[in-house]
Amino acid sequence: MTAFLLRALALLTLSCASISHAVPHDRGPVLLAAASMQEAMTAAADAWAARGHPRPVLSFAGSSALARQIKAGAPADLFLSADEAWMDDVARAGWLAPGSRSTLAGNSLVLVAPRARPVRLRIARGMPISRALGDGRLAMADPDSVPAGKYGKAALTALGAWPQVAAKIVRTDNVRSALALVERGEVPLGIVYATDARASTGVSVVGAFPASSHAPIRYPVARIKGSTSKDAEPFRRFLLSPAGKAILARYGFSTR
Amino acid sequence: MTWGLTADEWVIVGLSLKIGVAAMVAMLPPAFALAWLLARRRFPGKLLLDTLVHLPLVVPPVVTGWLLLLLFGTQGPIGRWLMAWFGVTLLFRWTGAALAAAIMALPLMVRAMRLSIMAIDRRLEQAAETLGASRLRIFCTISLPLALPGIVAGAMLGFARSIGEFGATITFVSDIPGETRTLPIAIYSALQMPDSEAAVMRLALLSIALSFAALILSEYLARRAAPSGPSHGL
Repeated sequence: MTAFLLRALALLTLSCASISHAVPHDRGPVLLAAASMQEAMTAAADAWAARGHPRPVLSFAGSSALARQIKAGAPADLFLSADEAWMDDVARAGWLAPGSRSTLAGNSLVLVAPRARPVRLRIARGMPISRALGDGRLAMADPDSVPAGKYGKAALTALGAWPQVAAKIVRTDNVRSALALVERGEVPLGIVYATDARASTGVSVVGAFPASSHAPIRYPVARIKGSTSKDAEPFRRFLLSPAGKAILARYGFSTR
Repeated sequence: MTWGLTADEWVIVGLSLKIGVAAMVAMLPPAFALAWLLARRRFPGKLLLDTLVHLPLVVPPVVTGWLLLLLFGTQGPIGRWLMAWFGVTLLFRWTGAALAAAIMALPLMVRAMRLSIMAIDRRLEQAAETLGASRLRIFCTISLPLALPGIVAGAMLGFARSIGEFGATITFVSDIPGETRTLPIAIYSALQMPDSEAAVMRLALLSIALSFAALILSEYLARRAAPSGPSHGL
């Protein structure tokens, strides 16, 4: 038994050693990207790899979690945040390479309903959103902390609808969880990004919130200080190039 | 007396305790019945039942939450039935959070109770039987009192697990302040905000203190149950 355990341990150590040994070679830059960028960044990484570069390593999570990982010293090369606030946070902590921050894309906010139970509502000041909800709730990302929720709260406030719905909100930890609740018909309405609604076949768009009702939704990208990958900057430039922006546009992001 | 907590934090702590107590109380009878069954009976499918009871211990909590959402959601089979017959829904309600916590706590409760039932000296029950006591009387005056410390320890352990529940809860009932925002969910939610380190630290310390108190109580009761033997707790 002991001999077996020792052997297993030796094997484990060896395999770990070989993994850590293999990492520095031929690895693409590590990109930490907001969850809403999953499809678009996967496509961009594929396109970059198709040009003969090592494929970037992608890690998707909420911008908040990623920002905390970077500030804790995560060995990453690029950060793509879903809002300026978290990029500012990382910048303030001194983790951005100077002069590497640019706006990559923009997005818009939409009200969605389950495909099976469409809702007719014109998004405007004084809209009867409370009546449209009935006994149901409004799903959105946490309006106090998650970017999509913060934009949603700002838009509802600007349209004078926030007081009616504040008590009816189901806060989710990220925008995709809100989308899933609408898809499954657990709530009659939800607020998500236009790109999320486009990625789902289970929801129908009731309408878009006017761009003037909330701060512009922008995705900044920047290089992380201490990045060692020589491909990090070229890949960042590729994302910002017409070819990169064409990929983002294909997934519904604005790239003006 | 506020003990330096804000009104919001008190709501969060109160809600966590309410959900923990509800989950523990609701699970007490089924957990004891299962513990008894697994400790005393031999029946076909026992291994299967044992495995099923322990499943929440190892299945990713997010899977448990997702299954709860499928079953108890307004579109799910049980959820639709509850709505049609009783007009109640567990979705987005504190009762749903209690259900999720109860399921996650069940294995720990059954484990502790089962051990204490197995530790009962069967000869005491046999002696009572030879003296003509009914089975109910034996259960109430011998078996139950002897198993009681283990039952209480199991209940406390279940309570401790309940107030720490996160994955299944956020998947099933999401995050609604005053309704489903328990301590772990409040901590997670605070982590999403920039410059929230102080708030996170306070909530985290609070959570550790609560869990510590519940666990130490459970251990203490378990030790009292078996002064000479090993702990019945974890």
